[in-house]
This record gives sequence, structure tokens and C-alpha cells, in this order.
Amino acid sequence: MRLPRSVQAIYLRPLRRTPTYGIPSCDLQLRSYSVRNLEFFADFAMRAAYYLNLAAKGPIPLPQITERWTVPRGNFIHKKSQENFERKTLRRLIQIQDGHPTVVQCWLGYLERKAYHGIGMKANVWDFEGLDVVGRMEEEGDRLDREMEVHWSNFGVRANAATEESLEKLLGEKAFSRQIRPMEEFIRDPVEVNRS
Amino acid sequence: MSQFRAKTLDIGGYVNKWIIRDHTKRKVVAEYETERQSLRYIIRNTSLPQRMRAQAQLQLSQMHCYTRPTQVKNRCIMGGKGRGVLSDFRMGRFQFRMNALAGNIPGVKKASW
Amino acid sequence: MSVPRARILALLKTQCTIFNTTYNPNRLRLGNKILRQRLKGPSITNYYPPRIRVVQELKKAYPDWEVEDEKEDERVEGLKIKRQRGKGAPKKRRTAAESKKLLKRRPGQARPAAATPAA
Repeated sequence: MRLPRSVQAIYLRPLRRTPTYGIPSCDLQLRSYSVRNLEFFADFAMRAAYYLNLAAKGPIPLPQITERWTVPRGNFIHKKSQENFERKTLRRLIQIQDGHPTVVQCWLGYLERKAYHGIGMKANVWDFEGLDVVGRMEEEGDRLDREMEVHWSNFGVRANAATEESLEKLLGEKAFSRQIRPMEEFIRDPVEVNRS
Repeated sequence: MSQFRAKTLDIGGYVNKWIIRDHTKRKVVAEYETERQSLRYIIRNTSLPQRMRAQAQLQLSQMHCYTRPTQVKNRCIMGGKGRGVLSDFRMGRFQFRMNALAGNIPGVKKASW
Repeated sequence: MSVPRARILALLKTQCTIFNTTYNPNRLRLGNKILRQRLKGPSITNYYPPRIRVVQELKKAYPDWEVEDEKEDERVEGLKIKRQRGKGAPKKRRTAAESKKLLKRRPGQARPAAATPAA
């Protein structure tokens, strides 16, 4: 019995679409210490791009990064007897050409969800904007203003709205006086345990 | 200093007094970094009045020494050593060697070329 | 052919407005270098690995649930046994009279009473 076409394709090299214009829209860099995982995942990414109708170029092997460290063998003195260690980072580049931004985001999201162990991913995404950017931004701003107008028109018309004195009182309240420390979210407070 | 130290231990891994002290310093540095940077900006800005700059200088020099980023020292997270620490792995050289040989550090192998 | 300085400065000014940089033709030291620096706080504090206490955090997250903490139970048990044998921690002294023991004369100390007046 013959296997389905999509299953047959797994045994062959990944299919690819031909770009119409060849304008890069996303550069995905894969990094790993192991060739097997990297090759496998690059292949997977290429196939995913094909089925999403994206023209992908690659996987282009980039120069590997070699880092070396030399440390003494012993824990104390004996500098004459040392040992070398190294770490080789292998890289592959996959370039998406003429991709629609949403489809590219979809592809990246899919790859992130199916992330493979021992592989780092880094993506540079380019967005293209037509001429007259400023005009469009102003238009957008006007639109937002109009949208907000509904809310702003309700501002401060309540009968019991804050007067000058009550505002002062309000500002003195706890919610306003709470001073947030700088870099609050990065300070790790110790976990408190209530022993009772 | 004890006023900055966490009431309960908040770091895992190897712990000794130097590590606790260094961790406390790190937290203090992070908390006061914006304040220090703004004072430093005032001091360096020559277009500001001299008096203001002098005041900022005084204020900066009177801040607690724990708020100074140079007080922070990288220590070995496995054994607390202060010297010969590889910043890539946050480990002392011997700990690094042991862990690398045991295969605990991804990608690091014995090299020969 | 020389270009007047005013014209160059005007060019510089427009350049600064376009690229959002500070217009500083006299090259004054404005300390902008410091404002441009990245805040290092977060990366500095994350150096040591955080302490993860699964049981305590579970207890905190689900206060209504009963979570068994074997280590803590063992410790409490040990304390109980020690107290029964009379080897527990001494009671905390509240008053000066109670803590008289501390003022007891030790060898090498001259006059303890004078050295530490009543607290």
C-alpha cells in the first residue's frame, strides 16, 4: 500500500516555496551545541514554513562560535598542570522572504510551542510600512481621540465629583501615598511562612 | 548590614555568610540604582547650577556603601569562592572543572586542538 | 567654497530633531551618557539561584488544603522529645532579675555589676 503524500514527504528533503520578490521579512537563528538536534529542528522549521505557504531560505549554516577555557587541574596551586575545555555553538539561519507579518508571527509562535530541547531561537522580524507614515499616524491619533471623546465627555460632571478640598483628602489616602520602590518587580522578597 | 538583609533565607544553592552578604548587597544596589544614577547625572551635567551639583555630590557620597555597584562581587554559586570565578558559569575554576567533567554543563567538553 | 557656520548649525539642529538627539553645538558636558546607560539592577540581583521551597509555597497558595511537610514535622517531633528530656531551649528572659545569670562573674572579668548597669 502506498503511503499518503504528506507522509512520503517526510522521507524526502523539505519542500520549499519560491519567493516572488525576495524581500526578507524574518531571520530566524537557531543555536545549539548538538548537530543532530539542530539539523532536525531546522528541517522541522522548513517544513512548517512550507505548509504555512511561506517562502523559506536555508537552513544556512553560520560560523560556529568556539569558546575555550583553561583551568588548573587541581583546586590549589599547581599552575603548571592545566586542562582545556571548550564549547562549540552551532548556528543555522532560516530566512523567510515575502512573508505576511501575521503568518510569520504564526510560524514563529508554532515553532516556539513545539520548541525542541537544547535549541535556542532568535528571530529578527522586519515590518514594512508604506510612504506617508506620519499622515497615517496622525489619522490613527485622530481616530483614537474621537473614540476617547465619549469617555472624556463624562469626566468630572458627577454631582458628587471631587472638589478641591475633597481632592486633597483623596490624594492623601493610602492608595495614593503608597510609594512603590524602584525596580519593585525585580526585588525578590523572602517567602514568608506562618508557623502557628 | 543587617537592616538590608532578608529576614528569611531567599537564595538556594550553596550558602555561607559571604554569599548572603553579597546577595544582600545586590538587592540594595538594584533598589537604589535609579537614585544613584540620577545623582550621577546631576553631578556630570555642567549646565546645572554649581550649588546643586555640589549638593548632589554630597548626597551621593553620603549614601550607604551597600548601594554602590562596585561592592558587588561575583562568587561561586557552588562553593562560595570569591576568586577564580568564571562569570560565564558563575562557578569557581575547580567547581567548573568538576561539573564540566561530570557533564553537568551543557555543551562544555574537554578540548584538544 | 565655505559654508557659513550658522547654516551648519541649523542643519545640525534639524538633524537632532529628526533623530531625537540632543542639540549641543558647544559640546557641553550634559551627562547624557548616564541617562543612556542600561539599568543593571535586574541582572545583578538574579546572580544567585532563588530558593524554591515547594511545600511552603504550596501551603501559601492553598491555605485551606492540608500539605504534609515531613521535614518540618520531623523537626517539631525532635523538639518535643528534647523538651521531654529536659534538653530544650531555655525560656526567654523577660526582666533584668530573670537575666541575672548573665551577669554572673566569669573568669577574666573584673566587676560585672559595674560594667553593665541595670538595663
